[in-house]
Amino acid sequence: MKLAAVDYVILAVYFAFVIGIGWMLRKKVSTSGDFLLSGRSIPVWITSLAFIAANLGAQELIGMAASGAKYGIMTAHFYWVGAIPAIVFMGLFMMPFYYGSKARSVPEYLKMRFDEKTRGFNALTFAVMTVFSSGISMYALGLLLHLVLGWDFNLCVLASAAIVLAYTYLGGLTSAIYNEVLQFFLIVAGFAPLAILACDRAGGWQGIVSRLPANMTHSWQYMGHASENPMGVELFGMMAGLGFVLSFGYWCTNFLVVQRAMAAENMSAARRTPLIGAIPKMFLPFIVILPGIAAVALAKMTGPGGAHLYNLPLKPDGIATDYDQVLTTLMSRFYPAGLLGVGLTGLMASFMSGMAGNVTAFNTVFTYDIYQSYIKKNAPDSHYLMVGKMTTIVGVILSIGAAYVARRYNNIMDLLQLVFGFVNAPLFGTFLLGMFWKRTTANGAFFGLVSGTGAAFMTWALTLAEGKGGIFGNLYTFPSTMAQNFWVAIMAFVTCIVVTTVVSMVTAPRTDKDMEGLVYGLTKIRHEETVWYQRPAVLAVFVLVLVIALNFWFA
Amino acid sequence: MLDLRVPSGWFFVILGAIVLTVGLLQPDLHAPLTEGINVNLYAGGPMLVFGGFLLIMAWRASHK
Repeated sequence: MKLAAVDYVILAVYFAFVIGIGWMLRKKVSTSGDFLLSGRSIPVWITSLAFIAANLGAQELIGMAASGAKYGIMTAHFYWVGAIPAIVFMGLFMMPFYYGSKARSVPEYLKMRFDEKTRGFNALTFAVMTVFSSGISMYALGLLLHLVLGWDFNLCVLASAAIVLAYTYLGGLTSAIYNEVLQFFLIVAGFAPLAILACDRAGGWQGIVSRLPANMTHSWQYMGHASENPMGVELFGMMAGLGFVLSFGYWCTNFLVVQRAMAAENMSAARRTPLIGAIPKMFLPFIVILPGIAAVALAKMTGPGGAHLYNLPLKPDGIATDYDQVLTTLMSRFYPAGLLGVGLTGLMASFMSGMAGNVTAFNTVFTYDIYQSYIKKNAPDSHYLMVGKMTTIVGVILSIGAAYVARRYNNIMDLLQLVFGFVNAPLFGTFLLGMFWKRTTANGAFFGLVSGTGAAFMTWALTLAEGKGGIFGNLYTFPSTMAQNFWVAIMAFVTCIVVTTVVSMVTAPRTDKDMEGLVYGLTKIRHEETVWYQRPAVLAVFVLVLVIALNFWFA
Repeated sequence: MLDLRVPSGWFFVILGAIVLTVGLLQPDLHAPLTEGINVNLYAGGPMLVFGGFLLIMAWRASHK
């Protein structure tokens, strides 16, 4: 793919704007709270879009188009079974405690509800995870730009990291959130035309259906048995592993997304943030997955000369398909100079939103939950502001290191799911019991969380899937790594719930008075909304009806 | 506090104007699979309109 001058101009305009937004917001930063928490002052439409965009990293865009080409419309389960119900649950039932407790981070909530050791464990694992997530995102982008445009991998990684660092350092979380909204718009502008053009050329949805095997265009009909669908996952593993544990674990406990909602201006806005964000989120598959599905149909069509309209990209060995390149090769087939620049900028934008999301979550957790808790307590706020800014720089540097580590692995999405299985799946068990069962004790939570994480690791180490895992032996072989990841999450969650419950029953509970505002039943949730359509419950029902309709439509 | 609609509005106005200009100046420019469609014209127009819409919303909010 070759870029024209106009494409570079578009890229330059975008860079100027993201740094410009950081520059305009720099004066707003005078305390550590301004820098790390946005001072809880951001309008709800902005937090809602940032909530979605922070998750919409480059690996998500590339990975979803890749999975679309590999698995078909079943990939939409990540949205319609996974993300949306979890997001609705978060806004409706968990946000009152996050926002109402005045905790500054997810680990800090754990400290308030349980004790120091649970917070420490979560803060450390979360810090490691954010660094790896942003490193993986950076690696994905660098590799792609190298393959597609021949740009130098090192230069891509360093230059894009420098830009993210510039605007997060200048304006902190506010700058990251503001830019995420701009990035969200740009991602839609850059990729919606591709979905429309590719789908149209493949003969519309009906044309795609007629050219693909039926199990790629129906999301539910072939879920009965793992061998019938391209994902190699059976109904229970998918519903419980992805739909329940992994998605709820990610969306309900990951500070990266929760932080966006916590930056909202009041409780009502904080609860509406995920619910409003869910609406664009559920339509994203049409932009990120559909092009991948259309690509497979286009590869089966021939033009006037008998040549294929499109060939699925191959790995360097010339035999295996390189699904991660589907998105960019499609762009080069459909986008002329001009729009190609917009599409490429959209890809850069997705990378930056994902990375900035990780970096801003990392610096908050490090500053408040690690530095202020264990290294230097009771310093003046200006000291923590300085530490927050330094941590931003360190976080970017560590991410760059992680990008080079990630270079050794190939399937980005699987690796991410694996990490989430280790960290987020048991955490969801801890939160579920902690928020909704007041008998849960600090020791119960800690040992549940640790043993859940251990169970995740052991499940992975004792089973095999596509040659992955099984380092301690092989008790069971899964048909796909996807199925393995889902079961790792299920085992982690169940272990966490069982251990937490048992240990809680034999240890002394806290008094009710100590847990006001932290546990369901001991917290009065105030309703600030005056207009009926702004009530969280009404919004939640609306979102759920829409997502159920989408599931039926593509069943 | 900075109204985000202002910078994002200007961004899309500029982006839309650039893409639209390419579409108007080089109507025959196309990628291998978009022969006969002036993609830049159809994509640039809506971007320009969207940017303008954001700016109008921001202007209305500041003149209330």
